[in-house]
Amino acid sequence: MNAIELRDVRKTFGANLAVDGVNLAVPRGAVYGVIGPSGAGKTTCIRMIMSILFPDTGSLSVLGRASALEAKDRIGYLPEERGVYRKMRVGAFLTYLAQLKGVSRQTADARVPDLLERVGLRGAERTPCDELSKGMLQRVQFVGAILHEPELLILDEPFSGLDPVSVRLLREQVQRAHARGATILLSTHIMAYAEEMCDHVFMIHEGRKVLDQPMAGLRRQFDPRRILFEPLRAEADISGIARMPDVAHVEATAGGGCTITLVEGAEPSLAVARIAGLIPPARIEIARLRLEDVFIRIVAGGGGLDEAAAALRSRLQAGAAEETRA
Amino acid sequence: MSFRKIGLVAAREFMAAVTNKGFLIGLLIMPAMFAILVAAMPRLMTASGRDRVRGEVAIIDPTGRVAPALREAISPSAIEARRQRTLNRALDAVAGNRDGGEALRSGQPDPTRITGLAPELRLIERPAGADLAAEKRWLTAPSAADLRPLALVVVKPDAVQLAPGQKVYGSYDLFVPPNTGERIENEVRDGLREAIVTARLAARQLNAAEVEAMTAVAQVPSMTVGAVERQTSIGFNRFLPFVFVGLLVFGVMIGAQTLMTSTVEEKSSRVIEVLLSAVSPLELMAGKVLGQMAVSLLVLALYLGMGVLMLTSFAMIGLLDPWLIFYLVLFFLITYFLFASVFGAIGAAVNEMREAQALVTPVMLVLMVPWLMAAPVAREPNSTFAIALSFIPPVNTLAMMIRMASTSPPPIWQVWATLAIGLAAACATTWVAAKIFRVGLLMFGKPPNFATLVRWARQA
Repeated sequence: MNAIELRDVRKTFGANLAVDGVNLAVPRGAVYGVIGPSGAGKTTCIRMIMSILFPDTGSLSVLGRASALEAKDRIGYLPEERGVYRKMRVGAFLTYLAQLKGVSRQTADARVPDLLERVGLRGAERTPCDELSKGMLQRVQFVGAILHEPELLILDEPFSGLDPVSVRLLREQVQRAHARGATILLSTHIMAYAEEMCDHVFMIHEGRKVLDQPMAGLRRQFDPRRILFEPLRAEADISGIARMPDVAHVEATAGGGCTITLVEGAEPSLAVARIAGLIPPARIEIARLRLEDVFIRIVAGGGGLDEAAAALRSRLQAGAAEETRA
Repeated sequence: MSFRKIGLVAAREFMAAVTNKGFLIGLLIMPAMFAILVAAMPRLMTASGRDRVRGEVAIIDPTGRVAPALREAISPSAIEARRQRTLNRALDAVAGNRDGGEALRSGQPDPTRITGLAPELRLIERPAGADLAAEKRWLTAPSAADLRPLALVVVKPDAVQLAPGQKVYGSYDLFVPPNTGERIENEVRDGLREAIVTARLAARQLNAAEVEAMTAVAQVPSMTVGAVERQTSIGFNRFLPFVFVGLLVFGVMIGAQTLMTSTVEEKSSRVIEVLLSAVSPLELMAGKVLGQMAVSLLVLALYLGMGVLMLTSFAMIGLLDPWLIFYLVLFFLITYFLFASVFGAIGAAVNEMREAQALVTPVMLVLMVPWLMAAPVAREPNSTFAIALSFIPPVNTLAMMIRMASTSPPPIWQVWATLAIGLAAACATTWVAAKIFRVGLLMFGKPPNFATLVRWARQA
């Protein structure tokens, strides 16, 4: 049974078409990534799943119910637009949220200190919310989403604006929830997080679904067959690589290295061993599948749309750079 | 609808409101100011009265009959007697009848604590042909003496006996130096009035005491005839409508305003989306409305309790009909639900407090109506105007409260009709407000105008 199902869902805001005929089925126990650039329609989809917004046409079901309203207490939700009661103390705020989700006061009070410690906020219960930094508050809000041990955890841009340590702490908690059996729906515009965490990705662009595949299948389908190589000695002659079997072509990169593309059907691990045997490498690795590339290939429609692809790439990178700065 | 969740929201709302420093200060400031007024004002007022004013009053009396009578009339004992009479009249008016006034008087052992010490005024007679300009200079000339010049009286020649062919007596001119003070001036006027009347009566060979006795008719309270015949209490009931409508408006304002503020805060701090993932908009609104209602009821209970305590301490509690308090609470609830839902909807519609002002102003004006209509309605509680107002929401409950607290309460069917109309209006308003609330909560951006709100109410 699926935890979430969207059937031909459409939503407009005035003249603006936000979500256009999206179908989605998230199986129970999956870690599902919703990815796409800012403004693609991710948050609108999630708000519809949460029954905060309602689709113009189409239908949906959440945890077997026709609306999230009927399953509210079994869902954990970290919205993109998140806030706290500034005057409330962290512990009281979290207990209040958990109580609204049907957890008893005693249970909530017992869980709060442990979870706060797990996200690196040990002993913050008595601190008023307005004395915490933005990153700390975000961790508090994350705790608010998982405190009632939901069956379905929906995280909208959970890592935006967080430092790497905090990101690691939150990711551990997401994995814990997953290990407990929870279904996870995670939206992000930073492709790297989705690559590392999700077993299934759902791509949305300008309100339309452009991809909905398991990560494993995606790796097979979009296997780049590329090897990144840097020689140990900068003056080494790398021209021999191009003459090796299975190598389609070689493209020199800045700093004396190169990107090697193999012919179709070639076994990358064998090629790596052969190249390393020919020229001692400072670095040699099989290029990781980048969702960014997949995304661009899908959206730009393969070849012939280089300008569109370049524009998209710069948009994605600008978004990621913003995150890094934040 | 989960009543547990509504209860949780209400409890948080209540706690957040009553533990807010601003609220506590606001709550205490009214009674504190009142207590200061009650405790300190008489002291402050009598503090000046504790210093006996001493001074001279000059008189130019061509009739030769006013001056001796005035000397008598501005003696400290005569002034004290006059003040005591005025005080008695005031106390009778406040208590509504002679008995109540007597009760108030008996609680006040030394009347001069209220009235202050009578001034010591020395009368100086000037010759009839004295130079007015020189006398005026005397008023303003610096005096080292203990007795400073306070007034100069010039009695008209026909003040005591009519001039031939005239039907109106002459009076007098009164000159005072700067800073004489109204009170002293009034004492001189009152004394002059008494003195001139005495002189006129004496000129007709009439006995002043006899005439006074003949012209005095005691004012008695009326008896309201009904199932139980009871004494109509006028004075107390004269300000009762204002107190009750004041409590009603105040209670509604406290709750509704805080409700709006807290909704705007939830929206602007973006905590709203987290909340909406746990409760439905209707549950949230219901919880908030109930939570703030509890706050308002707490404030009302505090103020009513203080009022009852004060009445008890003045032995006037019998004048307050306990049913009025019952109806106050009933009317409060209806009025509160109506206004609170409107304020809640406004809070949900806007992004920040600043934007709320434009939408709140008309609602506030409606709440101001009772202040404007309180006096005419209280004076004629059964006029067509008053009856019509008590059937027009949203002011009907306020108008009815004024009428019920007035001297002639309305028939009971009208009270229930007002309640029914109020309840219907409150339900209708809450229904519309809930729709605006639901749509508005997640609307950010351009502040809505009235047309937008109507559209939201229709689309929801």
